[in-house]
Amino acid sequence: MNYNELTRRYFESPANVGELSGPGVFRGAAGKREEGIWVQFDLQCVSGTLQAARFLAFACPHTIAVSAWLTEQSVGRTLTRTLPESVQQLRDRFDVPVDKMGRLLIIEDAWLAAAVPAIDYRG
Amino acid sequence: MNTAVQMGAAGMPVYLDHASTTPVDPRVALAMAEVLNSETEFGNPASASHDYGGVAHALVERARCQVAAAVGAAPAEVVWTSGATEANNLSLFGVAQYYRERGRHIVTSRTEHKAVLDPCRELERRGWQVTYLVPDREGLLDPEQVAAALRQDTVLVSVMHVNNEIGVVQNIGALGAICARHGGAWLHVDAAQSLGKCPIDFAGLGVDLMSLSGHKVYGPKGVGALLVAQRKDGLRSARLQLAPLLYGGGQERGLRAGTLATHQVVGMGLAFELASSISSTETVRIAQLQRRLWQGLAAIGGVLRNGSVSHSVPHLLNVSFEGVEGESLLAAIRPQLAVSTGSACNSALAEPSYVLRALGRSERLSESSLRFGLGRTTTQSDIDAAIAVLSREVPRLRHIAGAQSATAPGVPAT
Repeated sequence: MNYNELTRRYFESPANVGELSGPGVFRGAAGKREEGIWVQFDLQCVSGTLQAARFLAFACPHTIAVSAWLTEQSVGRTLTRTLPESVQQLRDRFDVPVDKMGRLLIIEDAWLAAAVPAIDYRG
Repeated sequence: MNTAVQMGAAGMPVYLDHASTTPVDPRVALAMAEVLNSETEFGNPASASHDYGGVAHALVERARCQVAAAVGAAPAEVVWTSGATEANNLSLFGVAQYYRERGRHIVTSRTEHKAVLDPCRELERRGWQVTYLVPDREGLLDPEQVAAALRQDTVLVSVMHVNNEIGVVQNIGALGAICARHGGAWLHVDAAQSLGKCPIDFAGLGVDLMSLSGHKVYGPKGVGALLVAQRKDGLRSARLQLAPLLYGGGQERGLRAGTLATHQVVGMGLAFELASSISSTETVRIAQLQRRLWQGLAAIGGVLRNGSVSHSVPHLLNVSFEGVEGESLLAAIRPQLAVSTGSACNSALAEPSYVLRALGRSERLSESSLRFGLGRTTTQSDIDAAIAVLSREVPRLRHIAGAQSATAPGVPAT
């Protein structure tokens, strides 16, 4: 499979791999390792603003790259009840094949599972 | 990504996929080029009416003798094909069609090459019954499994010699004896991976049909052969007959119509002659390299070897990496290593290796498997490069995948 330059870059050197702990950290995960894809986000939020983000992914290069990119781009931004960029936009940005769209939806599920409860957290 | 690993030829990745195909031996390429450039060797080998045809015919027959000599067959038993896939198809459809009134049952195994399994599926669609034997966890068939599967209406048993994914060598001699005792079941063996890796004795094994490939043994692609036994012994009431796949010229004793590609045939003949003269020191060298590779990979931890260790050729090593996703593993190593993976990673619907699944490996471990194919051009530095790349990338991907942790959505992680 061929990957675009952005995918390759974020797959080879993904930022924000790992986990967070401490006050204001919310964790969301989706997928199953046994099914070949699992993604977890840890989002640290204060007054609705993302302070730090980490991810783990047992997944394909597209999933790793998108997850890393999301964590990198979102820090300092206000969390909302949607992904920072839509699934379609992510698909275009990372040139994700149409038959892997389901993987982007798993990323979305994991992200929102952490982000939605974090929005109202005030510490 | 660290790129301080030795690369292969011309900046290409290190080639460790010799089970897929091999580079053409320069001597073979030269012999083929001589035929192509010759003003006297371009004739149609079937043109008996003039010397141009005669010269080409002589080249084809010399190559036929070379192939036969390399595998313990008689020259008259060699039928040229476009490759092992065609040879497999000719065996399965040829026997099925010719003996359709005698019986419509075939025995094969779940770890055969697709070039056997797909024709079997097609025959099932056409009304034949196929028994797919399941090998043990090491990939080995018990000959008694074959004996137990034989029925009165069984016309063919098809079992490969050296498995193309895991390198396991089946006990073909025992199967030959079982089929001979049965009397009605012919034995076909896909031996595309065998020559140069382990000895082949077509006559001695009691095999009736054997598929061979040119490009697996440093010959050209696009040419192969089917050995069709001509013997008639006390256990066989008649010589084996086949219905051809192709009609239109009667070449190859009516079994394979079409003008022979003299240069391809010459290339395969020489490649087989060269392969049969491989010294035991080369086999020892390959075995040492394989051992070095396995020890290096095992040191990473969480690496499982697939297939029998004691009943396999040293040219293949198949391993699964725990805790690593298959597509990411291949993507991570692809810039530096040319190997085969256990999954078809060209879509989200990647299919894990059916061979490894048949051995009982999980879907995940089947997908995170790599097949290393060692060959004549493989050096110790190639092996060390492979170890270095995987020693770096497997832990990196495991780090990204994290440790197994139970998580409830949206719960504070503190």
